[in-house]
Amino acid sequence: MPVPPHIARVISSWLGGPGASVRADRLAFADAGHGFDQFGLHPDFVAMGSSLVAPLYDRYFRVVSHGAEHIPKSGPAVLAANHSGSIPVDGAMLWTDVYRQTDPPRIPRPVADYFVSTLPVISTLFARCGVVGGSRGNARALLEAGELLMIFPEGVPGIGKHFSQRYRLQEWRQGHCELAIRHGAPVVPVGIVGAEEQMPQIARVPLPFSPIPYLPITATPLPLPVRYHIWYGEPIRLDRDYRPEDADDPEKVRAAAARVKAAVQALLDRGKKERKGIFK
Amino acid sequence: MISVLVTGATTSIGERLVRSLLADTRVRHVLAVDKQPTHRALPFSNNRLTYTSVDLTKSRRVHELLFGPARDLGVEVVVHLAQSRSAYAVGRGVHARNVEALRSILDLSDRHPTIRRVVVHSFAVVYRVGLDLPVRVSEDHPLDLAPHVPQYVRDRVEADLSACTRMGLADCEIVVLRCAEALGPGTGSQLFDFLDAPVAFRPLGFDPMVNVATIADIVRAMELATHGSGEGVFNIPGFDTLPLSECARLWGTPMFPAPGPFIRRAYNLRHWLGGGEFSYGLNRKRMHFGLVLDGTRARQELGYVPAHPVDWPVGGPIAG
Repeated sequence: MPVPPHIARVISSWLGGPGASVRADRLAFADAGHGFDQFGLHPDFVAMGSSLVAPLYDRYFRVVSHGAEHIPKSGPAVLAANHSGSIPVDGAMLWTDVYRQTDPPRIPRPVADYFVSTLPVISTLFARCGVVGGSRGNARALLEAGELLMIFPEGVPGIGKHFSQRYRLQEWRQGHCELAIRHGAPVVPVGIVGAEEQMPQIARVPLPFSPIPYLPITATPLPLPVRYHIWYGEPIRLDRDYRPEDADDPEKVRAAAARVKAAVQALLDRGKKERKGIFK
Repeated sequence: MISVLVTGATTSIGERLVRSLLADTRVRHVLAVDKQPTHRALPFSNNRLTYTSVDLTKSRRVHELLFGPARDLGVEVVVHLAQSRSAYAVGRGVHARNVEALRSILDLSDRHPTIRRVVVHSFAVVYRVGLDLPVRVSEDHPLDLAPHVPQYVRDRVEADLSACTRMGLADCEIVVLRCAEALGPGTGSQLFDFLDAPVAFRPLGFDPMVNVATIADIVRAMELATHGSGEGVFNIPGFDTLPLSECARLWGTPMFPAPGPFIRRAYNLRHWLGGGEFSYGLNRKRMHFGLVLDGTRARQELGYVPAHPVDWPVGGPIAG
């Protein structure tokens, strides 16, 4: 890691004031014995990450949160959100929003694409902030431990979609519903409005010999200061509507995923309708 | 009351296990075996202990051991620890020690008049590590069967699978314990050798989570497996789970991030100058992606819970 935990704590206090560390200290997580959980999360890095993202969250993207009361206060749950914006700023904003809106604070565990684990420095920093590699085993272990998973079922095709496809959900993967049904976890649909316009993508260059799948060609060199609206929907109680063994029934899993996708699309439609403009 | 045969008895773990078994009133006799001559073997004696020098790479010697002293002492449980500890050792002789010796023991135990249980010491190194694989590893995790893996790993995987494929088919019960690395001299731990160097290098930008055990915990797991019933594969995690950089800090070893090709050459050079056993080629993926053993099964079926934290030279655990 670029810095040890005590340096992360100093950085978070310097950037975010003493309150940043105080909040992180209240974080409930499964300490594996040295202040880290088994996946590498450490509260001091959560505080540092949150403080680093704060200027973007508060001043640049001016995030507005709607319906955060729908985030379960405890127990296993899955946040399923749309993914967009050419670079994964939406993940950082959602991560920060959940951390800020929950009390006691909950840290969502973003499930990242495999290639993220191969990126030097970034993979380690992300792991310290709670990101896990996108293997089924990691997700299963976290749900069994009662954690809050943050999944973008569109994956890389979502973030890499052409500007003309904005607010149109791409192929919606079903793994999150299979996991939720098997582990009795509710799914909270999340619609992120604003990210779809932040960095219009006009083309992409495949990178066949790199762990990164492609290089986005965007209309702007940096993300535009769009306003983010994060909409949380009512939890979809797959844990009540299905039995754990239904996770092995492809039809039921497909139906559950379609339900979640429709709920996210409805949040996006509502969010688009209610906002005053892209930058407002 | 049972009698126990321990192979690899002069290793750090073997010696500690023999001491523990001798202190156990449920154990009638311990037959300790290794290749060391008797006068250079165990530094203690006991009237319930017999030490025998045997070359386990010779199947005839294994036969003579099991159907000689082991049968005469009424050995019921074999704990097999004998493995080559060098990451650089290669060849048929090494394979014979790592794999063929276990095969012989399993073959013979199946038709042995007194042996009813074989406990096999396996290693976390048998598990495949990769970006698409989970960090927390349960017993059904893929094994490292890649064609290019060094003999050190290949032999361990082969020995592990040799034992696993006999489960349920043999008359005697087989227990495989896939243990976390025990931080101690003479355990063959790559991580111990890595930390014991004057300086350590890790890949630039990576700091994986590691799980480390103590000899005391590994020995405890073996004792539980010795006295238990039923068979299966069990992960034996250690008490300490922490990032590699924190491990080095607590061990008091200065650690520097460096590019992979440099690290490989530095550790190869160190080995050829007679300085150590750590092989970067062997551990490259482990130094990028974390691996933490899930000990749920061992807790539920053997009653094993890691209880002995590493006695870190520089500092203790921060929390927990």
